[in-house]
Amino acid sequence: MMKKKQKRLFLMLTVLVVGGALLSLVFSSFTGSLVYFYTPTEIIQKSDNLDGKTVRIGGMVQEGSLVKEEGTLKIRFLVTDGENMFPVRYDGMLPDLFREGQGVIVEGMWQGGQDFMAKSILAKHSEDYMPVEMSEEGIAKAKKSILKSMQ
Amino acid sequence: MWIEIAHFSALLALILTFLQIFSSLYGVTSGNNAWIRVGRHSAVVVALLLTVSTVGLVNSFLNHDFSVLYVAKHASLDLPIFYLATAMWGGHEGSLLLWAWLLSVYIGVAAWRHWKTHPVSMPYVLAILGALLVGFLLLVLFLSTPFERLIPPPFDGKDLNPLLQDPGMVFHPPFLYMGYVGFAIPYAFAMAALITGQADEEWLVATRRWTLFSWAMLTTGIVFGAYWAYYELGWGGYWAWDPVENASFMPWLTATAFLHSVMVQEQRQMFKTWNVFLVTMTFALAILGTFLVRSGVLSSVHSFASDPGRGVYILAFMTVLLFFSFGLLTMKSEHLETDIKLENPLSKESAFLFNNLFLLVATLTVLLGTLYPLAVETWSDSKVSVGAPYYNAVFIPIMLGIILMMGIGPVISWRKASFRQLKRDLLIPTIFAVVTGIAAWAMGMGNFYGISTSVVMAFVLATHILDTRRKVVARMKNRESGSAVTTLWQLISRNKRRYGGFVVHFGILVMAAGFIGSGLYQEEKNLFMTSGDKVKVGSWNFTLDRVGTASKYNWRAVEAVITAEHDSGFSVELRPQKRVYNETSQPTTEAAIHTTWFEDIYVVLGDEVKKDVWSIRVYRNPLIVWVWTGSGIMALGVIFALMQGRISREKKLE
Repeated sequence: MMKKKQKRLFLMLTVLVVGGALLSLVFSSFTGSLVYFYTPTEIIQKSDNLDGKTVRIGGMVQEGSLVKEEGTLKIRFLVTDGENMFPVRYDGMLPDLFREGQGVIVEGMWQGGQDFMAKSILAKHSEDYMPVEMSEEGIAKAKKSILKSMQ
Repeated sequence: MWIEIAHFSALLALILTFLQIFSSLYGVTSGNNAWIRVGRHSAVVVALLLTVSTVGLVNSFLNHDFSVLYVAKHASLDLPIFYLATAMWGGHEGSLLLWAWLLSVYIGVAAWRHWKTHPVSMPYVLAILGALLVGFLLLVLFLSTPFERLIPPPFDGKDLNPLLQDPGMVFHPPFLYMGYVGFAIPYAFAMAALITGQADEEWLVATRRWTLFSWAMLTTGIVFGAYWAYYELGWGGYWAWDPVENASFMPWLTATAFLHSVMVQEQRQMFKTWNVFLVTMTFALAILGTFLVRSGVLSSVHSFASDPGRGVYILAFMTVLLFFSFGLLTMKSEHLETDIKLENPLSKESAFLFNNLFLLVATLTVLLGTLYPLAVETWSDSKVSVGAPYYNAVFIPIMLGIILMMGIGPVISWRKASFRQLKRDLLIPTIFAVVTGIAAWAMGMGNFYGISTSVVMAFVLATHILDTRRKVVARMKNRESGSAVTTLWQLISRNKRRYGGFVVHFGILVMAAGFIGSGLYQEEKNLFMTSGDKVKVGSWNFTLDRVGTASKYNWRAVEAVITAEHDSGFSVELRPQKRVYNETSQPTTEAAIHTTWFEDIYVVLGDEVKKDVWSIRVYRNPLIVWVWTGSGIMALGVIFALMQGRISREKKLE
């Protein structure tokens, strides 16, 4: 039989081991599943070391850029932040709010030299929604460029 | 007119809440009972005044009073009356008033119910709760007011967001808040216990039912939200680890830990500091949840920074709350000292310890994933998001651990469990669990987590049933009369709290089956169909009969009529729609769902990709109805446990 102190020590050790194992699981999964967000301008600058990484790109869907392939769900469009435009392809059902001139975030794996193939497209549940991570000026610029493209 | 009455009542309530605080404190320091009574009466009057205020706002909605800015923003002439009455909490301002109103009602009820039983701590409880209410009333009256007029009034309002026009969304916020707000009562009692120095088990026993009730409301509220997401958002799932969802899940996790660790203090006078910590954290996380959802910080740190009023206020409120609580905890920690030490690894105490460990790591997991992106965005140029894979990777093992402890905790004995007892209680369940695992594997349930979940579930089910059976047999031996059924009924009605807990555990098992089924075994398929096409998915044959239109007075829709025929010959008509509500141009997807105990068929109508060719997405969601059913069973279990009054408990102790 173990003595009281030994038992207490044993219990504390078990707590430490179990807790430590859980926490290491938390942190190891955490670092692996961070997805960074870029604007079209940023992604054009930083694209070199992103190969094989999942990224999010956000901006507005450029007015007049949306092309649908008839008979399929395949689409391509340009995402703009007002300075640069970035081509995106997608094959799947679109969220209700997806529309030209509206904010959008596309997520997918970055593969250098190829068109960006979005795995998912996000739009939030609000009419006046702007992409979450876009800065105020970015939105203003994008709006201007949309106005320009409409003229 | 109504809105002025509402506004004025809320102002008066604020003044009387100050009276409630100061007369309680003055009364208790000067020893003058009359002042203490003034504090109590104020609490009741404040509850009435805020009820008037809430009714006033609801009434402005019912009257289509668009000269009230808040009404103009969240309702329209077309809005059905049910949603008109509930649009009161459709926006930030109204839902904060709902918070304050619920809190005041709880305070009123607490002042009335605990008056005779807790004369010493009651003045402090009322002062602390009053301070919390002042915090929310200042917000409602000065920073985020629903009482503002809009002159000249528009002819029609902007309408309630169509996504919110759904029963799930109508009940989600009030239930959630009834949970959030309810934890204020045990929190205030804990703080009062520290101040008065009567920090024994009394505050836990006094607030046991408040805690249980709030926990049940929070659980139900979260599930309503999940159900709404499933029904309304059309993506086939119900939980996306979205920060808004996480915000409500964190207090649930700490509350669940609290619910269990109080038992250790009640029975063994241990974990005293820990319980105060847990109840403080639960309430603080409820405030944090309100902050995250109501401050706008989640949609963008930058847009939040440009209009920080409401958010900074709630954050400051939470900081004060935490400093006060932990300051008090440190200063008065001598009241919480205990000589009893936890020393045996094989005891109920240590089972609860591990239960708390798992739940705390779970809380940390969610907290990290929710706050880290905000921190990165605030302090650096990068923006980052944490995806569902992180949560799934961490949560499934934690869930397995918690379920396993759920099988051991209720049956293992306090202080020190003997190996003989453990063998008696756990041997058969272990064998049963292993057999279940092998059977699951043999039946082709390939997924590792699927099999492990069925193993621990079988284990828990067996320990609960075996324990109940053993107690029934023992009782029957003693009495030598009565049938097994009446003995069982006597047993569970004598200890409603324990067997209510068993029912809750059973509900969790049912839910866990639903999580695993819908989470690991979901199938989805994209189809292109012309009228008359037949497609087979799983054991269902889908025929697109036609695509037409449908409408109601406040929306129009494109509607597909699809016949789904099961291999067994059963057939059902599904009508997925794409709706456009009159007041908005935003289309919303209305999925058509056919529910069976075994699986849900979930059909979404997409775009017309070519003339007469429609894209249609079909999901097969196994066991999803078990998630909703499980939460219902949990609620029933809590109701049963709540029926055990304090009196019967005291009698038993004598």
